[in-house]
This record gives sequence, C-alpha cells and structure tokens, in this order.
Amino acid sequence: MAWARPIIRELEEINMAPVLF
Amino acid sequence: MEATDIPGLPRGVRLHFDKIRETWVLLAPERAVTLDQIGHAILSEVDGQRSFGDIARTLAEKYSAPVDQIARDMAGFLGALRDRRFLDVTS
Repeated sequence: MAWARPIIRELEEINMAPVLF
Repeated sequence: MEATDIPGLPRGVRLHFDKIRETWVLLAPERAVTLDQIGHAILSEVDGQRSFGDIARTLAEKYSAPVDQIARDMAGFLGALRDRRFLDVTS
C-alpha cells in the first residue's frame, strides 16, 4: 500500500461523516 | 509538532477494530473517530515512548516515501487528534 494523507472521520453507536483531518 | 515530541494515547483511549464497519476506530469515552489504513499504521507505532521523528523514519522506510512528506501528514493527523483530546503529546 502506498503512503497517502490519512483521513479521520468523526462518529456521532460503535457496534451498530464529518472529516476532521 | 517537533521531532523529539512523544505522542501517546491518554488513559481511556484505545484502538478498536469495528467488525460492522470493517475499519479501525479510535475509541474514547463517549466519542469515537474512524481511521483509514494509514491512520491505523501511524497509531500502531504510537506507544508513548517513541518520538515523532522515530515514528516518521520508521514509516518512511516501511512505505518507501520521503520522510518530510510522512512527517507533514503525521503532524496534521496527530495534531487533529490532540486538539480533540484523543492524543497526548509530551515534549
């Protein structure tokens, strides 16, 4: 896998979206 | 973020693989963010002991990418997590 800028998405429910970076 | 800074996960924050979403998430009390593969690769190197510079060099070797590009992306990523209290950074 090549390097790419990481993406973080905010979850508002983890066992049942805005991009922060 | 400086090369000598040491990132670490605060108490109560942990990596978790969510089977429903089939993705890694960073869990904190009452909060969570989803991570992509690169984000997970970065946080997998974060142990509260190794410096930002050490981690950047490790990932640059692993991904055969320029260390300055890795450091730039890491700084933004880790800075965003620190701003939201998903990460501690000690100087």
